[in-house]
Amino acid sequence: MKRRELLTALAGAGALSAAPGRRLGNASPLHDCGCAPQIVTAKDKPPGAAAFRDVGSKLRITNMRVFGVTLDERIAQADRPYVFVKIETNEGVTGWGEATLEGKASAAMACVMDLKDLIIGSDPMQVEHLYQVMYIGSFYRGGPVLGSAISGIDQALWDIRGKVMNMPVYEMLGGPIDPRGVRGYYHADAWTLAEARELRDKTKAAGVTALKFQLPDLLECVETNAKIRRAVRHMEMLREGLGADLDFAVDFHARPSPTVAAIILREIEPLHLLFAEEICPPENARAMARAVRHSTTPIATGERLIASYGYTELIDMGVIDILQPDIAHVGGVTALWKVSATAEASGIRMAPHACEGPIGGIASLHVDAAGPNFLAQEICGFVDAGEKNRVWEDLMGFPAMRMVNGRYPLPTRPGLGVDISEAALKRYPFQGTRPFVMAFHEDGAVASL
Amino acid sequence: MRTNSRKLPGAWSAVFAPPAAEDHPLKIAEFRAWRVKEPVSSRRYTVVRLRSQGGISGYGEGGPALAGEIVAARAAAMDRRATESEFIRSALRRTPALEAAVNNAMLDLVSRAKDVPIYRYLGGPVRYKARLLGHLEGSTAAESTPSLERAKRQGIQSFTMAAPLRDAMIPLRAYVDLVRKRFADMQALAGPSAEWVLDGAGAMTPGDAASVAVALERSHPIWFDEPTGVITQDALAKIVDESVMPIGLGRNITDIASFQSLLASGSVNIVRPDLGLNSLMKLKRVATLAETHYVGIAPFHNGGPIGSMAGIHLNASLIHAYAQQIPVPASDRDAAMRAEITPGLKESGDKGFFALVNRPGLGFEVNEKALDAWSEERI
Repeated sequence: MKRRELLTALAGAGALSAAPGRRLGNASPLHDCGCAPQIVTAKDKPPGAAAFRDVGSKLRITNMRVFGVTLDERIAQADRPYVFVKIETNEGVTGWGEATLEGKASAAMACVMDLKDLIIGSDPMQVEHLYQVMYIGSFYRGGPVLGSAISGIDQALWDIRGKVMNMPVYEMLGGPIDPRGVRGYYHADAWTLAEARELRDKTKAAGVTALKFQLPDLLECVETNAKIRRAVRHMEMLREGLGADLDFAVDFHARPSPTVAAIILREIEPLHLLFAEEICPPENARAMARAVRHSTTPIATGERLIASYGYTELIDMGVIDILQPDIAHVGGVTALWKVSATAEASGIRMAPHACEGPIGGIASLHVDAAGPNFLAQEICGFVDAGEKNRVWEDLMGFPAMRMVNGRYPLPTRPGLGVDISEAALKRYPFQGTRPFVMAFHEDGAVASL
Repeated sequence: MRTNSRKLPGAWSAVFAPPAAEDHPLKIAEFRAWRVKEPVSSRRYTVVRLRSQGGISGYGEGGPALAGEIVAARAAAMDRRATESEFIRSALRRTPALEAAVNNAMLDLVSRAKDVPIYRYLGGPVRYKARLLGHLEGSTAAESTPSLERAKRQGIQSFTMAAPLRDAMIPLRAYVDLVRKRFADMQALAGPSAEWVLDGAGAMTPGDAASVAVALERSHPIWFDEPTGVITQDALAKIVDESVMPIGLGRNITDIASFQSLLASGSVNIVRPDLGLNSLMKLKRVATLAETHYVGIAPFHNGGPIGSMAGIHLNASLIHAYAQQIPVPASDRDAAMRAEITPGLKESGDKGFFALVNRPGLGFEVNEKALDAWSEERI
């Protein structure tokens, strides 16, 4: 018996709908667990989906499946097999979403199925309600595994909503702000001035207006003059090679401590970066605030945070300039839109992270297109899409997302605009999860990569 | 920076492209507005009707607006798609009453075109019935009685009560006693099942409001609404630091950043943006801010019945929505006029809640002849 059916049955038997003042569920005043239901609910308050019988649509979710997709390591890093979610309905409309989670694919897939009992039989049009069912109803309110599972399901629900209403999702969110599409940037690396100049020419020829690089070294909690100088010189070299008119950002990837980040940020101010990303680990907003208070370089972070709640402290404290939620972790379209809305109220821009598979990247475009505070969309990939084109063609019938004149064009099909070939999925069977790549300092201690 | 102009790759063009702007069935082809005034209370509001190229109509209500503002709003909305709510939010930000009216009309139009209730278009329902808060007319118990009696007949169980104004000659202690007495009188009048919101209407000083909040906190009004008009962090700290009375604020605020400021400083316990000054799409953003601070939203509303119903739809799509305020006329003439404008709608509930209606858009038809009859001006 599914959990929802069990609750309904219990309610019918009076176990969860005792008269006010009566103890529920357990006749004894002593409970095995304090978390057990000790609430009093009114008799006329029907539980769960039945309450919405008269006000919901006729559409019902009949099945939810999850697919692990392992690609060749030349195409996608071994730590992130794609995790796709497919939701099926009684009227034949289906929706796709993505729950890819770096280093935790099996856990994300299992968590999607853990949520199945909350989803099957529900009305997929109630996307806000189902988001709350999964988020609040899961008790722990977040974490990357639950966040990714919710993300995959939520994206699939929005896909269904859009298909039912025959509209792209960004139109349902009030967009597009700019029908030409949303600005994007590619990842890049260049280690010499000549390489940087060559990259500049290639980037401009592709019509791309922004790139992102990484720091050259791992960093410890305090650092030597030599390492700090190397980091700064690397960025100076990039600016010289790329020229003044090509935007570039640098991803610190949470390698420095706030102490070291503050020093580097002070040095690179004259380079006018598009932004400095994850300048230190994200959990401690006050520590990050100490690092950024002496810098005018725009500070970006947020790819590891879950739900709109995860961003509140950063926003309220005015620590950051740009937020980077990942639609495959933050909680799908619903949560990414909420983060965007909260950021807009504080003049914070959005540059969503997307370093996983194709559904999440395209889903992100929809929210971007409806956000007045949108800045740029990350899509993990280099100027040349390489082998990804073949995989995208195989899975979806069109090549990998590419910018045109610096922007990702908007999908035109209803919903998210993607449909995955299940036949093609069979060609990329799930081969388990590999851990996120590790890095170590020269003394063997674990480093933040 | 000059970039090379590039075209979409072949296989992409069917999937990714800028939306075609011309000849879309949801393109706004007709704009009409009424400036409406109720005969006895003189309550004023603006009703906008949009019609799409495909022939679907949608209605939205905002607060009072000037004729010139309506003309400017029409220029902004015409030929836009009815889905472009973010464009309208930006274009009409200086005229919030029209931002609300036009954007809500667009939402009604699109929902009707897609054959779904507005609450479903917004991602709901998250509840199957919406709690009503009756906004009573009158500033004394006697004056409020007709409004209260009507509200009770309408099945409403939660009400606002106007706090008395303080005359400069009244000592603070006497004033606090006066507020306490009015609270007790109204409680006695409505009976034990009634719940109350104390409405300060922004008329008290922060110091007076703090004293009232402390005096009444153990009487447990649902909240103390707009205790002062001094919406600064320091002024509000006087109230929130001295009592545990929940504070409602926001009926005069039209910029979302001000709500963020109130929430970040912990100065508000329930946000109260006015439905007449903020569209549903804008209020969704305010609600999202409130949600992350564990604060509820209960939009203020002292406008017409179209606005009341829009608020119900919003309430049904927001997890942190507590109640929708609806004005309860003291006068039979005002009540009749509201019913005439929206013949298929009853602004009433059962045991304090409005049962959601599963019909497209707002869920009722609007009587344009009645709008013509009751409007000060038709534009």
